[in-house]
Amino acid sequence: MSSLRVGGSCSCCCRRAKTSWADDVDEPIIQKPKVEESVDENGLRTVVEYTVNEEGKRVKITRKIRRVLQTTVVDHAVAERKHWAKFGAEKGAKPGPDRATTTVSEPIELKLAAGGVKQAEPEPDEATAMKAKLGGKKVLCRICQGDHFTAKCPYKDTLEPLGLGAAGADTPMDGIATPQDEPAPSASASGPGGKYVPPSMRAGANRAGESMFKPGGNRDDMPTLRVTNLSEDAEEDDLRDLFSRFGRVARVFIGRDRETGVGKGYAFVSFEERDQAQRALERVNGMGYANLILSVAWSVPREQRPGGA
Amino acid sequence: MRPILLQGHERSLTQVKYNAEGDLLFSASKDDTVNAWYSYNGERLGTYSGHNGTVWTLDVDYQTKFLVTGSADNLMKLWDVQTGQCLYTWEFLTAVKRVAFSEDGELIVCVTEQRAIAQGAIRVFKINRENGQDQDPEPISMFHPIGSKATLAAFGWDNNSIITGHESGKIAIFDTKTGEEIQTHEKAHHDSVTDLQLSPDRSYFITSSKDKSAKLHDSRTLAVLKTYTTETPLNSASIAPIRPYVLLGGGQDAMNVTTTSARQGKFETRFWHKIFEEEVGRVRGHFGPINTIAVHPDGRSYSSGGEDGFVRVHFFDESYFRARPYGELEPDD
Repeated sequence: MSSLRVGGSCSCCCRRAKTSWADDVDEPIIQKPKVEESVDENGLRTVVEYTVNEEGKRVKITRKIRRVLQTTVVDHAVAERKHWAKFGAEKGAKPGPDRATTTVSEPIELKLAAGGVKQAEPEPDEATAMKAKLGGKKVLCRICQGDHFTAKCPYKDTLEPLGLGAAGADTPMDGIATPQDEPAPSASASGPGGKYVPPSMRAGANRAGESMFKPGGNRDDMPTLRVTNLSEDAEEDDLRDLFSRFGRVARVFIGRDRETGVGKGYAFVSFEERDQAQRALERVNGMGYANLILSVAWSVPREQRPGGA
Repeated sequence: MRPILLQGHERSLTQVKYNAEGDLLFSASKDDTVNAWYSYNGERLGTYSGHNGTVWTLDVDYQTKFLVTGSADNLMKLWDVQTGQCLYTWEFLTAVKRVAFSEDGELIVCVTEQRAIAQGAIRVFKINRENGQDQDPEPISMFHPIGSKATLAAFGWDNNSIITGHESGKIAIFDTKTGEEIQTHEKAHHDSVTDLQLSPDRSYFITSSKDKSAKLHDSRTLAVLKTYTTETPLNSASIAPIRPYVLLGGGQDAMNVTTTSARQGKFETRFWHKIFEEEVGRVRGHFGPINTIAVHPDGRSYSSGGEDGFVRVHFFDESYFRARPYGELEPDD
């Protein structure tokens, strides 16, 4: 009628035993109980285990386990079927899912929302895209005055453009029937699927570019936090994970020993936005991370640092 | 949700089906095996071996006692679900395309393929539920639908009617005993009907078609109640209990995948609102067309089998049950 399942949550912490002289006194006491078990009034089971790890150091492992009894009421027939012997290709297989046939895939999200699922529209063809870009303006052929571009005119090999003799100067390009012709070629050709346009002709070509060597425009301008009291095991990716919840992290630098590559316990994290960095500072400063309490402060640029080299 | 992947088949899936309680899931594929799985953890209970060709179809009775399968080796087999033993085998001249139990498990309807050597036929067998090995080799009734050949069949709202789906897109209701066509809807779909699944109370049913649409029909009048038009040929459609959704699966035919731009999104399970006829969500995962979809009878999980040979068992998150995409308009179940 009912089936039981034991689920648990385990928090495990390992601590290296002290190797000071005081240990010698403790030793006989520690070695006696290999495993200690106790249950507190909340039903939290604490299992303390003393073992010797591969480095020959004594290790105390404390596990806190909460056992949750889940009761499911199932049909008699269903309960009976759970104990059926396996057959066919599974004959004699031990109970439980076999990794060869049953695996768990990566998580998938199902979001239910009204309004239909947006569908990628088919790429509009060139002519309609161009017409859309021109807005309400009419496309006018210079040769036959038809509703198409001059280059697409069916008469372009047989007829002269109308404007050449009569009003050449008035219609300098594919006649867009508006008096104020915009500099259309550069704008339209930069779109996807358009013809190649040299950089000098592209939109923005006459603007001054951005220099990487602008005075004061280097990476020190990015809002940067200095993280100290950092665990030496922390990697760039760990910090990126930690800080990216506040905003986009531009750069992570961990101070390392030149020879051994072991972290020196400090790092710099640069954000793109100052307010995100401010939020990160407020939240992470004083936060416990890998058994240490992080200390976060604004990074002070080298020149402003008192006595900075 | 984290789907469970079942890799028990070497070729593409043809049909997946839950038993009445939903604790077991059966899957058939184009290799000759049939698998039984525990649906709650994906553990394989066993395999039913004996067929010698693509197993097109399967069904399980309401007591999870008998399993019936139909195959391209022209055989229909009755199996003992618990032991995996074949109890009885019927042989025909052509492949068996669809089998289905009646609600009380007393009758089996079987659709055989139309070939030059034999007309397509719908046969109804009476099952001896006491002794599974002692079955009548002859059907209690047999009839040949005229016109387009039938590919799908299921018992309607009672044992006296059989609903069929045809290659032309037609759906019809036949009298079980006389084989007389009671109702017909010639243009239910514009292309072949690919799946036909009844609602839990058998009062309406859903059909999917190669014409890219799925439709809900009344089981007595065949009137089209709802239409769900997608942008891809559909292979399967299923009605979700508890929540007002239908699940549609499909994708281009495997042979056509390389001929057009392979866009992702065609191989997804689509969730459509049953009443408002609008797509509300998608579940990706398969890397081939989805051939078959089945929803757990309790409405809390569903399985899909694809051309890629995988069965994916999905357990809905709490958000699925809480979601009210249409707010106040949402009907109460």
